[in-house]
Amino acid sequence: MKETLKLGLVLAAFAAGACVALALVYTVTGPTIEGHEIKQLEMSLKELFPAADSFRALDGDVAPKDGSVKFDQTYEVTRAGAPLGVAIKVRGSSYGGDTTMLVGVGTDRRITGVKVLDIKDTPGLGANAKSPTYFVDKSTKTTFPGQFAGKPLSDPFEVKKDVVAITASTITSKALTNMVKQAGIAAAEYLERSAQGGK
Amino acid sequence: MKRLVGIFVRGLVAENPLLMLMIGLCSALAVTTSVENAIGMGLAMTFVIVFAELVISLFRKLIPNSVRIPTFIIVIAAFTTIIDLSMKAYFPELSKSLGVFIPLIVVNCIIMGRVEAFASKEKPLDAVVDALGMGLGYTWVLVGIAAFRELLGNGTLLSAQIMPEAYQPILFFTLPPGGFLVFALFISFNIWLKRVLDRSDRAPVKEAA
Repeated sequence: MKETLKLGLVLAAFAAGACVALALVYTVTGPTIEGHEIKQLEMSLKELFPAADSFRALDGDVAPKDGSVKFDQTYEVTRAGAPLGVAIKVRGSSYGGDTTMLVGVGTDRRITGVKVLDIKDTPGLGANAKSPTYFVDKSTKTTFPGQFAGKPLSDPFEVKKDVVAITASTITSKALTNMVKQAGIAAAEYLERSAQGGK
Repeated sequence: MKRLVGIFVRGLVAENPLLMLMIGLCSALAVTTSVENAIGMGLAMTFVIVFAELVISLFRKLIPNSVRIPTFIIVIAAFTTIIDLSMKAYFPELSKSLGVFIPLIVVNCIIMGRVEAFASKEKPLDAVVDALGMGLGYTWVLVGIAAFRELLGNGTLLSAQIMPEAYQPILFFTLPPGGFLVFALFISFNIWLKRVLDRSDRAPVKEAA
């Protein structure tokens, strides 16, 4: 009994020491890490809406139509109070697992832009979706997510029809296209609602 | 002094954790698709192993034998979290591309193995030297494999285009099977290197005799 107590105390002492060290490091690095995350998100949002000056997080107002994708976060993008559109952080499953993308939808019912945030697909194949130097159209230097910019939501969003696939990565291409489509549908619905509510 | 040099060099070739002891391989194969990742991973790993071995060697007489493994894990996990948080704060890009492999240093068998086999029995100075040898032994192999794979598989080194534009990257080297192949080449290279070193070690002895 005494021996057990001693062992427990020794372990507790080590754990306490580790806790103190970690608390110190966390206090020092915490704000910087958070700052990076916010800055990164704002930079991505700015890429989709260069004219925007403010982003407001929407909670639960926008939900996907089917279960194939999830929305991590939705932002209403405005300039001087006037709405420019909606940006949605979409999470869906692709060839290599969870993939997240940021999809911007303008008030004119067009995709303003798409940015792949995280993709775990095969390097050199599916992961080319994120590469800034992989072009689906070499003559115009259009990347895979780049081709969605300006695309009207009334398009069918089907790979090999109105969407150019990444070579040898049909599963990735289809999964990402579906994510953009789902985000587009949900965003359009929200914009419709808020426009009516505004009137 | 000579003894310390001996401990240090051992980790680089004769007892290289990856090529001779063959432990800690999964992270090594996974992160070696680019040189930048390999350097980051190698240094993070070296940091953790040096401090883990130092702390455990300092407290080695206070750690009861029956709870030594949990104690080691607490120490290793603490240093791993420290390096993970620091990288997230000051090298966000690198930390992102290494992803889960930094937190996974906790369960890296190289650290656990050296702490158990070496640091828990030896003096702090020896332990730190051993850790440096093992850490750098791990790092040089990682960087070597990564250089090979990045150059052939992507045509770049440290993200700078090295191969001519016309070079068609050999994807195979970026994919896992290519990693195994390059790794095998490094093992054979290391065995050759060890033999050469052994021979040069023995030569002066013969002369003396």
